[in-house]
Amino acid sequence: MSPTQLEDASRTGSPVRGDLLLELTGISKFFPGVVALDGVDFDLRHGEVHVLFGENGAGKSTLINIIAGTYPPDAGAFRYRGHALSRLTPHEARAIGISPVFQEFSLVPDLTVEQNLFLGRELTAGGLLNRAAMRAKAEAIIRDLGFDLDPNRKVRELSRAHQQMVEIAKAFLTEVRLLILDEPTASLTEAEAAKLFSLVAKLRAAGVGIIYVSHRMREITAIADRITVLRDGRKIRTVASGEVSETELVELMTGRKIDVLFPEIEFRPRETLLEVEHLTLADRSVNDVSFFARAGEITGIAGLVGCGKSEIIRAVFGLETIASGSIRVGGEVVAHPSPTALLRRGLCYFPSDRVAEGLALSRPVRENASMAALDLPAFSRARVLQRRSERRVIQSIVERLRLQPPQIERPVANFSGGNRQKVLLARGLTRDIKVFLFDEPTVGVDVGAKAEVYELMKALVSAGVAIVLVSSELPEVMHLSHRLYVMHRSRIVAELTGKDINEPEVLSYFFGERSPAAAAG
Amino acid sequence: MSELGIAVRRGRTRRRPRLSWAFAFVLPLLMVAMELAVFSVEPRVLSQRNLINILNQSSYVLVFAAAQMMVILTRGFDLSLGASVSAISVASALVMTGLASAGAPAWLIVVAGLAAGMGFGLLVGLFNGLLVAGLGINPFVVTLGSLNICLGLATTISGGRPVFNVPDPFSHLLYDGTFIPGIPVPLTLAAIISLLLYFVLGHTVFGRSLYLIGNNPRAAELAGLPSKRYLALAYVCCALLAAFGALMLTARTGSGEPNLGGSLMLESIAAAVIGGVSLMGGVGGILQALLGAMFVTMLSNAMDLLEVGGYVQQILLGCVIIGAIFLDRLRVTRS
Amino acid sequence: MAGEVTGREASASAFDRAYRFYAAVGFLPIMLALFVIVLALFVPHFLALGNIFNVLRSSSYLVILAVGQMLVMIVGGFDLSVGAVVALTSVVSASVMAGLAGSLGGHPGIIIALGVGAGVGCGLAIGLLNGLCVAFLKVSPFMVTLGTASIATGFALLLTDGIPVYGMPKSFVNDFGRGLWLQLPTAVYVAVIIVMLLWVMQNFTRMGRYIYAIGGNLQAAIVSGVRAKTHLILAYALCAMLASVSGLALTAQIGSGQAVLNAQLTLESIAAAVIAGVSLKGGVGKVEMVALAAVFLLTLTDAMDLLKIDPRVQSIFLGVIVVLAVAVEELAKRRMTLV
Repeated sequence: MSPTQLEDASRTGSPVRGDLLLELTGISKFFPGVVALDGVDFDLRHGEVHVLFGENGAGKSTLINIIAGTYPPDAGAFRYRGHALSRLTPHEARAIGISPVFQEFSLVPDLTVEQNLFLGRELTAGGLLNRAAMRAKAEAIIRDLGFDLDPNRKVRELSRAHQQMVEIAKAFLTEVRLLILDEPTASLTEAEAAKLFSLVAKLRAAGVGIIYVSHRMREITAIADRITVLRDGRKIRTVASGEVSETELVELMTGRKIDVLFPEIEFRPRETLLEVEHLTLADRSVNDVSFFARAGEITGIAGLVGCGKSEIIRAVFGLETIASGSIRVGGEVVAHPSPTALLRRGLCYFPSDRVAEGLALSRPVRENASMAALDLPAFSRARVLQRRSERRVIQSIVERLRLQPPQIERPVANFSGGNRQKVLLARGLTRDIKVFLFDEPTVGVDVGAKAEVYELMKALVSAGVAIVLVSSELPEVMHLSHRLYVMHRSRIVAELTGKDINEPEVLSYFFGERSPAAAAG
Repeated sequence: MSELGIAVRRGRTRRRPRLSWAFAFVLPLLMVAMELAVFSVEPRVLSQRNLINILNQSSYVLVFAAAQMMVILTRGFDLSLGASVSAISVASALVMTGLASAGAPAWLIVVAGLAAGMGFGLLVGLFNGLLVAGLGINPFVVTLGSLNICLGLATTISGGRPVFNVPDPFSHLLYDGTFIPGIPVPLTLAAIISLLLYFVLGHTVFGRSLYLIGNNPRAAELAGLPSKRYLALAYVCCALLAAFGALMLTARTGSGEPNLGGSLMLESIAAAVIGGVSLMGGVGGILQALLGAMFVTMLSNAMDLLEVGGYVQQILLGCVIIGAIFLDRLRVTRS
Repeated sequence: MAGEVTGREASASAFDRAYRFYAAVGFLPIMLALFVIVLALFVPHFLALGNIFNVLRSSSYLVILAVGQMLVMIVGGFDLSVGAVVALTSVVSASVMAGLAGSLGGHPGIIIALGVGAGVGCGLAIGLLNGLCVAFLKVSPFMVTLGTASIATGFALLLTDGIPVYGMPKSFVNDFGRGLWLQLPTAVYVAVIIVMLLWVMQNFTRMGRYIYAIGGNLQAAIVSGVRAKTHLILAYALCAMLASVSGLALTAQIGSGQAVLNAQLTLESIAAAVIAGVSLKGGVGKVEMVALAAVFLLTLTDAMDLLKIDPRVQSIFLGVIVVLAVAVEELAKRRMTLV
């Protein structure tokens, strides 16, 4: 973003500060099986940072996708700079100054940084690409943003943090009136984040409206003018920054008192069930990591996006290529980890992406629940299915988990996020599982089901299983874990217990070795 | 939660069953309509002889459609089905005629012919399955490769000419003998295969796994299913079924034909997909293969009776395939 | 432990260097060069002028076809109808030219223009049908193009009853099809021009870049404002039109329109693209590599002809090579992720 561009934005944006830039009324959006947004009102003024606050699955990303023109709302009105808009396309949105920076990167892996920056907006001269002009402009933008990016590198080869930078740089290619930032700091270091914040401040001064999605408290209090809280697809409240305390915000977000949402789980550690020593992955996303998990205890792993926390438990389950290190389950070394081998040893991994990795959506609940236990006599004998016994066992598990509705012959696609998670969890109850590896267990799960998932964890722990909980939801991982590991850049940098598990303490490790300044902040 | 649940129900359950019922009836209705329409022009179509003819003919199509279905369920397909049929036909005929001229006893000839055919099928299936499942290569490329290899083998070992004089006992066993009195042998064989596949797909761990792998391969792997082994096995099953179909056809023609499988690849895929086996994987069963096979057979039978030329039939087959994709698409987006 | 790690890193960097060289130069040119040297040493007459000539001429048809196939593969599909389009073009253009010979006998230029127009029009129609089905129905290109292949072949056979169509203007056959220009067959020039145009398109135009983007990450392309459907359809239309051009050149060389030209053309075009490293997942592929791969394939065929290997056995070779090319690529990728 060059100074001239900033001036351009301020001139053509005709921003009388405080005027409405965007006004959404009664926006609804339905997806198969889910009401993503239900009559949401939202507005944004010129020169304002408006934070969207809510848990995963609350409807934040649906809302920003509607504003960015990715998909049309099913109901509601959309006014931008005083004009009613309908059937907005991503292309038009960019043309009228709406620049989204998505968390799910919209980058083409096999194109270079520069090619990605200009995708859809290439500069041409006489019908051919003007490569020199694009190179100059790309370099200028990257320089102004202060990012450390090589325009020639293929995006495939970049780290997640660098891909995030490309994504942000994309938004500054054209004149920006409305900037959408979707958890932009999720994988940035503190220094990089600080640069981004000063940029946001500059843009705000120039009259650009900014929608900022985050659930990091520190950022929100530092940057927001107003905050809108979403929960389960509905708008809960819009408040001015400083009007409510952090605790109140979290309670607005989760819809209940924090101590009610997170059950008190008794801490009675017993024998060590899972032991990982000096684990290093082939792609170095996990580097020389050692940890253990005991029966009767929840072991948490926290860290920035891309720090390697989910790769650890995926590797334990045999889903990542291991370069060196050892894994022991119940004292025995697992030489070649694979899902089959680990399920047999009583260890089960529950993936965060249930659609991609967890469930066969168009198959019935029954088949999805019994999938991991088809080798057991309750489900098959001599490789012939015992369908009656299967129905009986799954029906009772499903009722125990309070699946809504408890119909085991319905395709999983027809269930909501929370119920899909229950179907997945049913897998852990079909066989004798001693170690549960949870990867973001409440992503896309509504609050009611979330509480039920936590209750199930409590029941499991008191029954003597070991739970490893990997989560990006800081409140969740802090309140549930008895022992919490913090990861930074592929390594474990801290192991916290008891009273040490609190937000300042945990966050201070998020950005690497603890420095006194960070600890104080 | 409860509100979400209600919304879910409102949007979904009411519409779905009605549509899937509708789809289940589309094809049979189309078939009846087609037969009646042809009947008004050419009454012979509903004669007893023609109906038996249709049943007989669709037995073969069913075997190949079922073979194709096994791999389509896993999101794959087998382009080599057809070329492999030709190669197997020639190979088994050569083995049998060779043994016959050496004066071997009839039972040995028949057993050797069957073993040669099924053995060849096993090899093709292992080649496809190991490369697709073991190395993770796109089934399109793998089976395109094996298509050419089979085609080359079929023409090379036969010298490009049919292998005549397949011994009669073989034809009796698989074509014009009596297995169950009053019912043609191909029909009996197709029925046995159908029942077998019905059981395998619905009542065994392997069958269940095919659906799960086709629906979501990653999920199947994470649930500890031996995906690779089952995927390879699906290709082996496909090739073995194709081999059996090839033997049935060889028994009917009484010769090993290097061009026997000419249009079978297209026909088998078309029949399976028309019947409702989705190319997106994980949807379909023996009933769908049966419906598709009947439809394709009736269509070509009707065209034969109406003396529609072979070239026009080819054009129509292409149109039917594209029509089937429309239907498949409709089904998938609705459910 | 520490020693082990550095040891691994050292071997990794050696492999890395080798891989970079491989990535920069490409596997294919190295293979082709080695191959030509071996053949020149061991196969008699391989380096004879007439033979080189022959290889260049016959590979130019495949080059045109394969670069079209490449476009469709970059957007993440493939086109099984190219062989059928070649046949249909051949038959239609020859029939049009032969039919007009009576009424427009004195104007061969007009006859040729109309014949070429009709042929390319057929290709365009089939390409549009393919592209529309893939873009709007979002169905597997495999089934769509299988269907259109059946339709196109059916029409070609129906039009001619399988009998070759003669009676094209002499200038079309003698000057274009069999003519030489600066000692080289005209088809070679056509192929070179097409490759150059596509090279410019891939590297210097928006369209080229969008085609990569669509295959690389469809969602990202749409979100970035790329008109994905338009470019998908364009890729399929271009592919079929290039198949038509190839069909015209072949027809001119043979001197008659034929419904059964070469059953292997579709497979060969895909084989060339796959050998050239065009990914079946889309987003990757360079026109110069595909052209080279087509020449490589034809060199191989030529060598087998010279060695008097049965053409039927050659089909087996072709199948093995296609599978091998992809298997090697897959294994190399695995090596990379393991390092």
